[in-house]
Amino acid sequence: MWAINLRIVGVVLGTLALYTLIANKIPQMQSEVPRALALGANVTPEQLVSAGEQLYQGAGGCTACHGLGTRAPNLVTDEKGQGPIGARCGKRESGKDCKAYIYESLTSPGAFVVTGYEPIMPDVSRTLSPQQLWALVAFLESLGGTVDVSAADIPAVSQPTPGGSPGSAGPGIGGGTKDAMEIIRAAGCIACHKVGAEGGAIGPDFSRIGARLSAAQIREGILAPDARIARGYEKFKGIMPKTFGDQLTAAQLESLVQFLASRK
Amino acid sequence: MTDAFSLLQAAADTAGAYRDFPLIGSRAAIWIAAEIHLMFAAFVLGVPMFAVVAEAIGIFGKDQRYDRLSKEFTRLLLIAYSATAIWGAVLTFLLATLYPRFWAYLTSIFGASMWVYVSIFFFESFTLYLYYYGWDRWKYGRAKLVHWGLGILLNVWGTIVMFIADGWLTYMMTPPRDITPQTQVASIKFWEAFMNHTWMPINIHRLIGNIVFGGAIVGAYASYRFLASRSEEERAHYDWMGYVGNFIAISALIVLPFAGYWLGREIYQYDQSMGITMMGGFMSWLWVIQAFLIAVLFLAGNYYLWVGMGRIPGAERFRPYTKWLLAVLVVGAIVWGTPHTMIADSRELVAMGGSHHPFLGVLGVMSAKNTAVNLMILATFLSFLMYRRANIRPVVPWAQTGTRIQGAMFIIAAAIVLFYGIRGYFVEAIVRIGYSVYQVGAVLSCIVFVTVIDVLMARGAQSLGTIQWGKMPARSQYALFILAVTFTWLMGLMGFARSGIRQHWHVWQVMPDTSQYAATPALGYASIMISTCVLIFLALVGFIFWLGGLAEKSTFVPAVSTVEAPHVGH
Repeated sequence: MWAINLRIVGVVLGTLALYTLIANKIPQMQSEVPRALALGANVTPEQLVSAGEQLYQGAGGCTACHGLGTRAPNLVTDEKGQGPIGARCGKRESGKDCKAYIYESLTSPGAFVVTGYEPIMPDVSRTLSPQQLWALVAFLESLGGTVDVSAADIPAVSQPTPGGSPGSAGPGIGGGTKDAMEIIRAAGCIACHKVGAEGGAIGPDFSRIGARLSAAQIREGILAPDARIARGYEKFKGIMPKTFGDQLTAAQLESLVQFLASRK
Repeated sequence: MTDAFSLLQAAADTAGAYRDFPLIGSRAAIWIAAEIHLMFAAFVLGVPMFAVVAEAIGIFGKDQRYDRLSKEFTRLLLIAYSATAIWGAVLTFLLATLYPRFWAYLTSIFGASMWVYVSIFFFESFTLYLYYYGWDRWKYGRAKLVHWGLGILLNVWGTIVMFIADGWLTYMMTPPRDITPQTQVASIKFWEAFMNHTWMPINIHRLIGNIVFGGAIVGAYASYRFLASRSEEERAHYDWMGYVGNFIAISALIVLPFAGYWLGREIYQYDQSMGITMMGGFMSWLWVIQAFLIAVLFLAGNYYLWVGMGRIPGAERFRPYTKWLLAVLVVGAIVWGTPHTMIADSRELVAMGGSHHPFLGVLGVMSAKNTAVNLMILATFLSFLMYRRANIRPVVPWAQTGTRIQGAMFIIAAAIVLFYGIRGYFVEAIVRIGYSVYQVGAVLSCIVFVTVIDVLMARGAQSLGTIQWGKMPARSQYALFILAVTFTWLMGLMGFARSGIRQHWHVWQVMPDTSQYAATPALGYASIMISTCVLIFLALVGFIFWLGGLAEKSTFVPAVSTVEAPHVGH
């Protein structure tokens, strides 16, 4: 009986090992998460193009159709003698410059379906942030054309609300706790701000914030972080999330404000 | 600066949304719990379907062997049932503790249906207890029919339970298009979310898949009992049971690809980019692995039948044909496994001389693949037909004509499959997709009409000898094990495909996954997870079946005369 059992175990393990081995021998591709971008007022065209290229080649998933395949027009190299997308985008629709054409193609793909292709392009704005979209536009413009995307085109960084609805359906941050330190930890404040012995040094130190700011100023800083930037931290403008007004309950906000105001 | 932002964003996004699981991480923990729960669930939903059919054959065909077989199926079900519930509870607790925000979101929309789910689960449990424990009490006359009705009711409860859970998971894949990240959860209409784009295709796909899976596990159980048998009678009984399990698994497998096409088409219709990610994007290699697994299934299933013909007097006359059937299966598997569109880097594209391989690219398109798989299905059906016919000689006056008509049907079906396969190269994609319907229609029609003719022809047929149940070489039983392992692994792989095409979204384009496990892993990692789940599942199944064996004697038919179990379908 033991011999039978061992043979069965051998067959099972051998079959599993074979399938696992084959799956590990083929090319390994992981689907990456599109990296969040923080493109400030001083962003250069080179930075935009670089960020856009990373999206195009990777997490944006563009190459599944636009690489050198037949599902969608070739963007990187020549397409039917008209050159790459940057060279032909300005001539595609009369009265529409290259930037507008590409942006609209990404966000309203049904508007300009190239003859000979099926309307399979998804609305990219559902998966990419505005910053990522504009970086993609800049990269596509750079393929044979001139990059004219600038910081002015890009809306201020706004935090995505992951499953916005559940956030609003919840009882606040950290399960609704009113303990200020717990709120600070649960909200991730200490990823950038130092409070006593805890926290990082990206943003202003909160250890003695009450000595510098009033309760009203602290409240404003939480709800509208870009309204007033602490001296020396101007370059981080736009980084602080603006969603705490939605995420915190009124009681949590007041608990947090009073706690910080008391730290002198 | 970007890094600082990412750090902050991750911290802000994940505040209270995720917790980690020790050692293996939360994704792996959920993966294992969900997969093993699904494997047990597939078993306990699939087995009642053919248990109730076997009981009906026993009642209306007045054949006690089927009734006892059905009871043995149900005994396996009973002991697997609690394991299903335990893993379901593990999954629920892990979701609630590791992904609390996502879980809160799902319960906000589907909470009421979860209460219904639990209630029906309760009814299902007690119907199962009544069905099994009442077997010997309600054995004759009208009481037996009532008992059979309980079996049907058990299937009804099980199907409703599965349909409800499918509503939750398909919402994650294909939420209604008007739902966005900004949509307030209170404004989401339950039925709209529940009966989403892929709900019914998944329901049907899973119904059929559960039968396949249940048949394969029953086959493996029977093969183990066959190998461990100490008497001829017991060996004969479990040989027959293994044959029935394999028959069920392969018969349902033949239909499964059609349900898969429907599901795939619905995914494409919902979101082309999701479909392309699945078939031509980062998951494209998955389908090569799938083709390999299905080739193993077809080959192992047919091999079992061909070896099984060795115990049937009269089967020798069909033996010369098996090599041709093997050739069709091997060539079909090679064509089906040929890749077409792969994500390739520039060096690979240059090496291939374009986006597709100049020769293999022609075989990798759907025209060739559909043709290959349809011919493989026809070849497998022909194997079954030869097996059925092996020990009988039809005596009806029209037997020769009937056989010729059957042959003509095979030729016509194969010709239609080949014609549309070749013509598909010369038409546009949208027309080509429609051709698969004609190919499938031809194969299904052939299967139905040939079977009807065969059943009519078998009436009063002359027997060439009794099937020598139990006279089966041990190697055939290991084929049943390979079938069970491969079916289970394939289920894990396709579960990864279905779930993985959401990529970094909990709910596609509505609720992003911002945890550290948001990236969708490559096939290598997935294969290790799948093998781990299969191993845990099979170990648990082996253990609980062993426990069941301790508690109760098997129900094999004692020797009255030579076991003359009829072929399934006679």
